[in-house]
Amino acid sequence: MTKGFLIFAHNNEEIDYLKLAAVNARLIKQNCSISDVTVVTNHHSYDYTCATMGEEFVTDSFSNIVFVEKDKTFKRSNVRTYKDTSHTAKSLPFYNLDRCDAYDLSPYDETILIDADYLILSDVLNSCWNHDNEFMMNWSYQDIMVERDDPTLRRLHPSGITMYWATVVYFKKCNFSEQFFKTVKHVRDNRQYYQDVYKWPGNLYRNDYSFSVAAHMLGGFQERGIPQLPLPALYKTFDTDDIHSIPCKNEIIFYLEKPKALGDFVLTRWKNLDVHVMNKWAINRISSELMNYIE
Amino acid sequence: MSNKLTKALEFANYRSSLNIQHNNMKARVQTLLSYSTNGGTFIISHELISFVKLLVDREMPDAVLLDVYNNPIQIENLDTFLEELISRYFEATNEYFADYSKLKKSRKVHKLIDIDDD
Repeated sequence: MTKGFLIFAHNNEEIDYLKLAAVNARLIKQNCSISDVTVVTNHHSYDYTCATMGEEFVTDSFSNIVFVEKDKTFKRSNVRTYKDTSHTAKSLPFYNLDRCDAYDLSPYDETILIDADYLILSDVLNSCWNHDNEFMMNWSYQDIMVERDDPTLRRLHPSGITMYWATVVYFKKCNFSEQFFKTVKHVRDNRQYYQDVYKWPGNLYRNDYSFSVAAHMLGGFQERGIPQLPLPALYKTFDTDDIHSIPCKNEIIFYLEKPKALGDFVLTRWKNLDVHVMNKWAINRISSELMNYIE
Repeated sequence: MSNKLTKALEFANYRSSLNIQHNNMKARVQTLLSYSTNGGTFIISHELISFVKLLVDREMPDAVLLDVYNNPIQIENLDTFLEELISRYFEATNEYFADYSKLKKSRKVHKLIDIDDD
Protein backbone atom coordinates (compact mmCIF):
# COMPACT_ATOMS: atom_id res chain seq x y z
CA MET A 1 0.00 0.00 0.00
CA THR A 2 1.50 3.34 -1.04
CA LYS A 3 0.89 6.35 1.18
CA GLY A 4 1.57 10.02 0.78
CA PHE A 5 0.48 13.59 1.27
CA LEU A 6 -1.27 15.74 -1.33
CA ILE A 7 -1.23 19.54 -1.35
CA PHE A 8 -2.92 21.96 -3.77
CA ALA A 9 -1.01 25.19 -4.35
CA HIS A 10 -2.10 27.90 -6.77
CA ASN A 11 -0.49 31.29 -6.24
CA ASN A 12 -2.39 34.54 -6.55
CA GLU A 13 -1.01 38.07 -6.96
CA GLU A 14 0.18 38.27 -3.34
CA ILE A 15 0.36 34.81 -1.84
CA ASP A 16 3.00 32.31 -2.81
CA TYR A 17 1.07 29.13 -1.98
CA LEU A 18 3.64 26.95 -3.72
CA LYS A 19 6.36 28.24 -1.41
CA LEU A 20 4.13 27.50 1.60
CA ALA A 21 3.51 24.01 0.23
CA ALA A 22 7.26 23.46 -0.31
CA VAL A 23 8.10 24.48 3.27
CA ASN A 24 5.28 22.28 4.53
CA ALA A 25 6.45 19.33 2.44
CA ARG A 26 9.83 19.60 4.14
CA LEU A 27 8.11 19.69 7.54
CA ILE A 28 6.18 16.54 6.57
CA LYS A 29 9.40 14.74 5.65
CA GLN A 30 11.02 15.79 8.90
CA ASN A 31 8.14 15.10 11.27
CA CYS A 32 6.18 12.28 9.66
CA SER A 33 9.12 10.59 7.93
CA ILE A 34 7.05 10.45 4.73
CA SER A 35 8.93 11.40 1.61
CA ASP A 36 6.00 11.01 -0.78
CA VAL A 37 4.47 14.46 -1.09
CA THR A 38 2.60 15.43 -4.26
CA VAL A 39 1.78 19.02 -5.09
CA VAL A 40 -0.88 20.06 -7.57
CA THR A 41 -0.07 23.42 -9.11
CA ASN A 42 -0.05 25.33 -12.40
CA HIS A 43 2.80 26.52 -14.63
CA HIS A 44 2.49 30.20 -13.63
CA SER A 45 2.82 29.40 -9.93
CA TYR A 46 5.69 27.01 -10.61
CA ASP A 47 7.59 29.54 -12.71
CA TYR A 48 7.10 32.30 -10.14
CA THR A 49 8.21 30.24 -7.13
CA CYS A 50 11.17 28.80 -9.05
CA ALA A 51 12.22 32.34 -9.99
CA THR A 52 12.03 33.59 -6.39
CA MET A 53 13.17 30.53 -4.44
CA GLY A 54 15.16 28.58 -7.02
CA GLU A 55 14.02 25.55 -9.00
CA GLU A 56 16.01 23.18 -6.81
CA PHE A 57 14.14 24.35 -3.71
CA VAL A 58 10.81 23.51 -5.35
CA THR A 59 11.76 20.21 -7.00
CA ASP A 60 13.59 18.92 -3.92
CA SER A 61 10.58 19.60 -1.72
CA PHE A 62 8.19 17.32 -3.57
CA SER A 63 8.40 13.77 -4.83
CA ASN A 64 5.81 14.50 -7.50
CA ILE A 65 4.52 17.68 -9.15
CA VAL A 66 1.20 17.60 -11.01
CA PHE A 67 0.42 20.50 -13.34
CA VAL A 68 -3.16 21.51 -14.05
CA GLU A 69 -4.70 24.35 -16.02
CA LYS A 70 -6.52 27.10 -14.13
CA ASP A 71 -10.10 27.98 -14.98
CA LYS A 72 -9.65 31.72 -15.52
CA THR A 73 -13.33 32.59 -15.30
CA PHE A 74 -13.56 30.92 -11.91
CA LYS A 75 -10.35 32.59 -10.76
CA ARG A 76 -11.74 36.03 -11.56
CA SER A 77 -15.10 35.34 -9.93
CA ASN A 78 -13.99 33.67 -6.69
CA VAL A 79 -12.52 36.55 -4.74
CA ARG A 80 -12.15 36.60 -0.96
CA THR A 81 -10.78 38.96 1.66
CA TYR A 82 -7.37 37.95 2.93
CA LYS A 83 -6.16 39.57 6.14
CA ASP A 84 -2.68 40.20 7.40
CA THR A 85 -3.99 40.97 10.92
CA SER A 86 -6.93 43.34 11.36
CA HIS A 87 -4.73 46.18 10.14
CA THR A 88 -4.49 44.99 6.51
CA ALA A 89 -7.15 43.40 4.33
CA LYS A 90 -7.00 42.69 0.61
CA SER A 91 -9.42 41.18 -1.89
CA LEU A 92 -7.63 38.51 -3.92
CA PRO A 93 -8.60 35.52 -6.09
CA PHE A 94 -9.04 32.31 -4.15
CA TYR A 95 -8.42 29.38 -6.50
CA ASN A 96 -9.77 26.21 -4.93
CA LEU A 97 -11.76 24.72 -7.78
CA ASP A 98 -9.72 21.54 -8.29
CA ARG A 99 -9.51 20.17 -4.76
CA CYS A 100 -12.33 17.76 -5.56
CA ASP A 101 -10.02 16.18 -8.17
CA ALA A 102 -7.82 14.91 -5.32
CA TYR A 103 -9.03 11.35 -5.73
CA ASP A 104 -8.09 11.23 -9.42
CA LEU A 105 -4.82 13.12 -8.98
CA SER A 106 -3.47 11.27 -5.95
CA PRO A 107 -0.96 8.57 -6.94
CA TYR A 108 -1.26 6.90 -3.52
CA ASP A 109 -3.45 4.10 -2.11
CA GLU A 110 -3.74 6.12 1.09
CA THR A 111 -3.69 9.90 0.92
CA ILE A 112 -3.70 12.71 3.43
CA LEU A 113 -4.91 15.83 1.66
CA ILE A 114 -3.88 19.01 3.49
CA ASP A 115 -4.02 22.76 2.97
CA ALA A 116 -0.68 24.37 2.17
CA ASP A 117 -1.04 26.47 5.33
CA TYR A 118 -1.73 23.55 7.67
CA LEU A 119 1.74 23.33 9.18
CA ILE A 120 2.89 19.86 10.13
CA LEU A 121 4.78 20.23 13.41
CA SER A 122 4.27 16.67 14.71
CA ASP A 123 3.84 13.08 13.56
CA VAL A 124 0.24 12.88 14.74
CA LEU A 125 -1.18 12.38 11.23
CA ASN A 126 0.79 9.14 10.95
CA SER A 127 -1.96 7.59 13.07
CA CYS A 128 -4.22 7.73 10.00
CA TRP A 129 -2.28 5.14 7.99
CA ASN A 130 -3.81 1.63 7.77
CA HIS A 131 -6.88 2.86 9.64
CA ASP A 132 -10.12 0.87 9.48
CA ASN A 133 -11.97 4.03 8.43
CA GLU A 134 -11.60 4.59 4.70
CA PHE A 135 -12.40 8.28 4.80
CA MET A 136 -11.94 10.75 7.64
CA MET A 137 -12.18 14.49 8.11
CA ASN A 138 -12.91 16.76 11.04
CA TRP A 139 -15.84 18.84 12.10
CA SER A 140 -14.32 19.66 15.47
CA TYR A 141 -11.78 22.44 15.56
CA GLN A 142 -10.13 24.42 18.31
CA ASP A 143 -8.98 27.99 18.06
CA ILE A 144 -5.67 28.42 19.90
CA MET A 145 -7.16 31.58 21.39
CA VAL A 146 -9.70 29.61 23.41
CA GLU A 147 -11.88 32.59 24.33
CA ARG A 148 -12.63 33.15 20.65
CA ASP A 149 -15.58 31.14 19.42
CA ASP A 150 -17.19 31.72 16.04
CA PRO A 151 -20.48 29.78 15.75
CA THR A 152 -20.54 30.38 11.97
CA LEU A 153 -17.63 27.95 11.72
CA ARG A 154 -19.60 25.16 13.35
CA ARG A 155 -22.57 24.99 10.96
CA LEU A 156 -23.28 26.03 7.39
CA HIS A 157 -26.31 27.89 8.69
CA PRO A 158 -27.57 28.43 12.27
CA SER A 159 -30.22 25.74 11.70
CA GLY A 160 -28.21 23.83 9.12
CA ILE A 161 -25.79 20.91 8.96
CA THR A 162 -22.46 20.60 10.75
CA MET A 163 -19.52 22.10 8.92
CA TYR A 164 -16.66 19.76 8.15
CA TRP A 165 -13.17 21.17 7.53
CA ALA A 166 -11.62 20.22 4.20
CA THR A 167 -8.29 21.39 5.67
CA VAL A 168 -7.19 17.82 6.37
CA VAL A 169 -8.82 14.82 4.69
CA TYR A 170 -7.66 11.22 4.86
CA PHE A 171 -8.88 8.81 2.21
CA LYS A 172 -8.10 5.39 0.83
CA LYS A 173 -8.58 4.54 -2.83
CA CYS A 174 -11.93 2.75 -2.53
CA ASN A 175 -15.48 2.99 -3.86
CA PHE A 176 -16.64 5.20 -1.02
CA SER A 177 -13.87 7.79 -1.44
CA GLU A 178 -14.38 7.86 -5.21
CA GLN A 179 -18.10 8.43 -4.71
CA PHE A 180 -17.38 11.11 -2.11
CA PHE A 181 -15.20 13.18 -4.42
CA LYS A 182 -17.71 12.72 -7.27
CA THR A 183 -20.39 14.11 -4.95
CA VAL A 184 -18.17 17.09 -4.06
CA LYS A 185 -17.75 17.78 -7.79
CA HIS A 186 -21.49 17.52 -8.26
CA VAL A 187 -22.09 20.05 -5.46
CA ARG A 188 -19.44 22.35 -6.93
CA ASP A 189 -21.05 22.18 -10.37
CA ASN A 190 -24.53 22.85 -8.98
CA ARG A 191 -23.59 25.42 -6.37
CA GLN A 192 -26.67 27.57 -6.64
CA TYR A 193 -29.05 24.67 -6.07
CA TYR A 194 -27.13 23.33 -3.06
CA GLN A 195 -26.71 26.79 -1.59
CA ASP A 196 -30.51 27.18 -1.74
CA VAL A 197 -30.97 23.83 0.02
CA TYR A 198 -28.18 24.08 2.62
CA LYS A 199 -28.25 27.88 2.95
CA TRP A 200 -24.55 28.57 3.41
CA PRO A 201 -23.75 32.28 3.44
CA GLY A 202 -22.05 34.49 0.86
CA ASN A 203 -21.01 34.01 -2.74
CA LEU A 204 -17.55 32.59 -2.18
CA TYR A 205 -17.01 28.96 -3.20
CA ARG A 206 -15.49 27.12 -0.25
CA ASN A 207 -14.48 23.47 -0.21
CA ASP A 208 -15.52 23.29 3.44
CA TYR A 209 -19.10 23.81 2.27
CA SER A 210 -19.08 21.34 -0.63
CA PHE A 211 -17.27 18.70 1.46
CA SER A 212 -19.80 19.23 4.30
CA VAL A 213 -22.74 18.76 1.92
CA ALA A 214 -21.14 15.62 0.47
CA ALA A 215 -20.49 14.35 4.02
CA HIS A 216 -24.13 14.93 4.89
CA MET A 217 -25.40 13.17 1.76
CA LEU A 218 -23.03 10.21 1.89
CA GLY A 219 -23.29 9.95 5.66
CA GLY A 220 -26.90 8.87 5.08
CA PHE A 221 -28.28 12.40 5.61
CA GLN A 222 -27.31 12.12 9.26
CA GLU A 223 -25.48 14.63 11.41
CA ARG A 224 -21.74 13.96 11.56
CA GLY A 225 -22.07 10.77 9.54
CA ILE A 226 -18.41 10.75 8.46
CA PRO A 227 -15.80 9.77 11.07
CA GLN A 228 -13.27 12.32 12.28
CA LEU A 229 -9.51 12.03 12.05
CA PRO A 230 -7.82 10.24 14.97
CA LEU A 231 -6.82 13.46 16.69
CA PRO A 232 -8.64 15.50 19.35
CA ALA A 233 -9.24 18.56 17.13
CA LEU A 234 -7.90 20.66 14.28
CA TYR A 235 -6.04 23.55 15.84
CA LYS A 236 -6.19 26.87 14.09
CA THR A 237 -5.30 30.53 14.24
CA PHE A 238 -7.06 33.29 12.31
CA ASP A 239 -5.81 35.64 9.65
CA THR A 240 -6.11 38.40 12.24
CA ASP A 241 -3.26 36.74 14.17
CA ASP A 242 0.42 37.01 13.37
CA ILE A 243 3.64 35.11 13.98
CA HIS A 244 6.25 36.57 16.32
CA SER A 245 9.07 34.11 15.69
CA ILE A 246 10.24 30.53 15.38
CA PRO A 247 12.22 29.93 18.60
CA CYS A 248 13.23 26.35 17.80
CA LYS A 249 12.27 23.21 15.88
CA ASN A 250 8.49 22.65 15.64
CA GLU A 251 7.67 25.65 17.81
CA ILE A 252 5.97 28.91 16.83
CA ILE A 253 5.35 32.00 18.92
CA PHE A 254 2.08 33.58 17.83
CA TYR A 255 0.52 36.95 18.34
CA LEU A 256 -3.15 36.13 18.98
CA GLU A 257 -5.67 38.88 18.55
CA LYS A 258 -7.78 39.52 21.63
CA PRO A 259 -11.46 38.85 20.91
CA LYS A 260 -12.70 42.07 22.49
CA ALA A 261 -9.82 44.35 21.53
CA LEU A 262 -9.22 44.15 17.80
CA GLY A 263 -5.65 44.93 16.80
CA ASP A 264 -4.40 44.11 20.30
CA PHE A 265 -2.56 40.82 20.87
CA VAL A 266 -1.40 38.30 23.44
CA LEU A 267 1.60 36.07 22.89
CA THR A 268 1.58 32.30 23.00
CA ARG A 269 4.09 29.55 22.34
CA TRP A 270 2.73 26.64 20.28
CA LYS A 271 4.78 23.48 20.09
CA ASN A 272 4.81 20.00 18.59
CA LEU A 273 1.24 20.09 17.29
CA ASP A 274 0.01 20.70 13.74
CA VAL A 275 -1.69 24.04 13.28
CA HIS A 276 -3.70 25.80 10.58
CA VAL A 277 -2.21 29.27 10.11
CA MET A 278 -4.70 31.43 8.23
CA ASN A 279 -2.45 34.48 7.89
CA LYS A 280 -0.54 33.49 4.73
CA TRP A 281 1.69 36.57 4.77
CA ALA A 282 2.79 35.64 8.29
CA ILE A 283 3.96 32.18 7.14
CA ASN A 284 5.74 33.67 4.15
CA ARG A 285 7.50 36.16 6.44
CA ILE A 286 8.86 33.48 8.77
CA SER A 287 9.38 30.72 6.20
CA SER A 288 13.14 31.24 6.05
CA GLU A 289 13.27 31.12 9.89
CA LEU A 290 11.19 27.94 9.74
CA MET A 291 13.59 26.48 7.17
CA ASN A 292 16.51 27.01 9.59
CA TYR A 293 15.08 24.26 11.77
CA ILE A 294 14.40 21.78 8.98
CA GLU A 295 17.22 19.28 8.69
CA MET B 1 -3.26 56.10 33.07
CA SER B 2 -2.87 55.53 36.80
CA ASN B 3 -0.25 53.13 38.05
CA LYS B 4 -2.92 50.92 39.59
CA LEU B 5 -4.80 50.60 36.32
CA THR B 6 -1.63 49.86 34.36
CA LYS B 7 -0.80 47.06 36.80
CA ALA B 8 -4.35 45.68 36.60
CA LEU B 9 -4.19 45.60 32.79
CA GLU B 10 -0.76 43.96 32.90
CA PHE B 11 -2.13 41.31 35.23
CA ALA B 12 -5.16 40.74 32.98
CA ASN B 13 -2.77 40.23 30.08
CA TYR B 14 -0.72 37.80 32.14
CA ARG B 15 -3.82 35.79 33.13
CA SER B 16 -4.98 35.62 29.53
CA SER B 17 -1.56 34.40 28.35
CA LEU B 18 -1.40 31.89 31.21
CA ASN B 19 -4.80 30.50 30.29
CA ILE B 20 -3.90 30.10 26.61
CA GLN B 21 -0.53 28.56 27.41
CA HIS B 22 -2.17 26.07 29.77
CA ASN B 23 -4.71 25.16 27.09
CA ASN B 24 -1.89 24.57 24.60
CA MET B 25 -0.43 22.05 27.03
CA LYS B 26 -3.78 20.33 27.45
CA ALA B 27 -4.09 20.08 23.65
CA ARG B 28 -0.66 18.49 23.47
CA VAL B 29 -1.35 15.97 26.23
CA GLN B 30 -4.72 15.03 24.71
CA THR B 31 -3.02 14.37 21.40
CA LEU B 32 -0.33 12.25 23.01
CA LEU B 33 -3.01 10.23 24.80
CA SER B 34 -4.61 9.26 21.49
CA TYR B 35 -3.14 5.95 20.33
CA SER B 36 -3.85 4.32 16.98
CA THR B 37 -3.09 0.65 16.40
CA ASN B 38 -4.46 -2.26 14.33
CA GLY B 39 -6.70 0.11 12.36
CA GLY B 40 -8.37 1.57 15.46
CA THR B 41 -7.85 4.52 17.76
CA PHE B 42 -7.91 4.48 21.56
CA ILE B 43 -7.85 7.25 24.11
CA ILE B 44 -5.45 6.21 26.83
CA SER B 45 -7.45 6.69 30.00
CA HIS B 46 -7.34 5.26 33.52
CA GLU B 47 -10.41 3.24 32.59
CA LEU B 48 -8.79 1.68 29.51
CA ILE B 49 -5.57 0.88 31.38
CA SER B 50 -7.53 -0.74 34.24
CA PHE B 51 -9.72 -2.72 31.88
CA VAL B 52 -6.78 -4.06 29.90
CA LYS B 53 -4.97 -4.89 33.16
CA LEU B 54 -8.06 -6.85 34.24
CA LEU B 55 -7.96 -8.85 31.00
CA VAL B 56 -4.24 -9.51 31.47
CA ASP B 57 -4.84 -10.64 35.07
CA ARG B 58 -7.45 -13.05 33.77
CA GLU B 59 -4.71 -14.44 31.52
CA MET B 60 -6.47 -13.54 28.29
CA PRO B 61 -3.83 -13.44 25.54
CA ASP B 62 -5.92 -11.37 23.13
CA ALA B 63 -9.28 -9.61 22.97
CA VAL B 64 -11.56 -7.50 20.81
CA LEU B 65 -11.86 -3.96 22.16
CA LEU B 66 -14.11 -1.12 21.04
CA ASP B 67 -12.16 1.94 19.91
CA VAL B 68 -13.23 5.61 19.92
CA TYR B 69 -15.27 5.03 16.75
CA ASN B 70 -16.95 2.02 18.41
CA ASN B 71 -15.26 -0.22 15.84
CA PRO B 72 -14.24 -3.66 17.12
CA ILE B 73 -10.46 -3.92 17.08
CA GLN B 74 -8.61 -7.18 17.53
CA ILE B 75 -5.73 -6.78 19.98
CA GLU B 76 -3.41 -9.73 19.48
CA ASN B 77 -1.13 -9.38 22.47
CA LEU B 78 -2.71 -7.77 25.50
CA ASP B 79 0.55 -7.75 27.51
CA THR B 80 2.33 -5.69 24.85
CA PHE B 81 -0.74 -3.47 24.41
CA LEU B 82 -0.85 -2.74 28.15
CA GLU B 83 2.85 -1.93 28.21
CA GLU B 84 2.34 0.47 25.29
CA LEU B 85 -0.61 2.17 27.00
CA ILE B 86 1.34 2.67 30.23
CA SER B 87 4.46 3.85 28.44
CA ARG B 88 2.54 6.39 26.36
CA TYR B 89 0.50 7.54 29.37
CA PHE B 90 3.60 8.40 31.37
CA GLU B 91 5.39 9.91 28.39
CA ALA B 92 2.43 12.30 28.01
CA THR B 93 1.92 13.09 31.68
CA ASN B 94 5.65 13.53 32.41
CA GLU B 95 5.96 16.03 29.57
CA TYR B 96 2.84 17.81 30.81
CA PHE B 97 4.19 17.87 34.37
CA ALA B 98 7.53 19.34 33.29
CA ASP B 99 5.87 22.07 31.21
CA TYR B 100 3.19 22.78 33.83
CA SER B 101 5.76 23.08 36.64
CA LYS B 102 7.60 25.70 34.60
CA LEU B 103 4.36 27.52 33.84
CA LYS B 104 3.31 27.66 37.51
CA LYS B 105 6.51 29.46 38.45
CA SER B 106 6.28 32.07 35.68
CA ARG B 107 4.93 35.38 36.88
CA LYS B 108 5.56 37.49 33.78
CA VAL B 109 4.27 37.08 30.23
CA HIS B 110 7.76 36.78 28.72
CA LYS B 111 8.55 33.99 31.19
CA LEU B 112 5.33 32.14 30.30
CA ILE B 113 6.31 32.23 26.65
CA ASP B 114 10.00 31.75 27.47
CA ILE B 115 11.34 34.65 25.43
CA ASP B 116 13.73 37.49 26.23
CA ASP B 117 12.15 40.59 27.72
CA ASP B 118 13.54 43.24 25.36
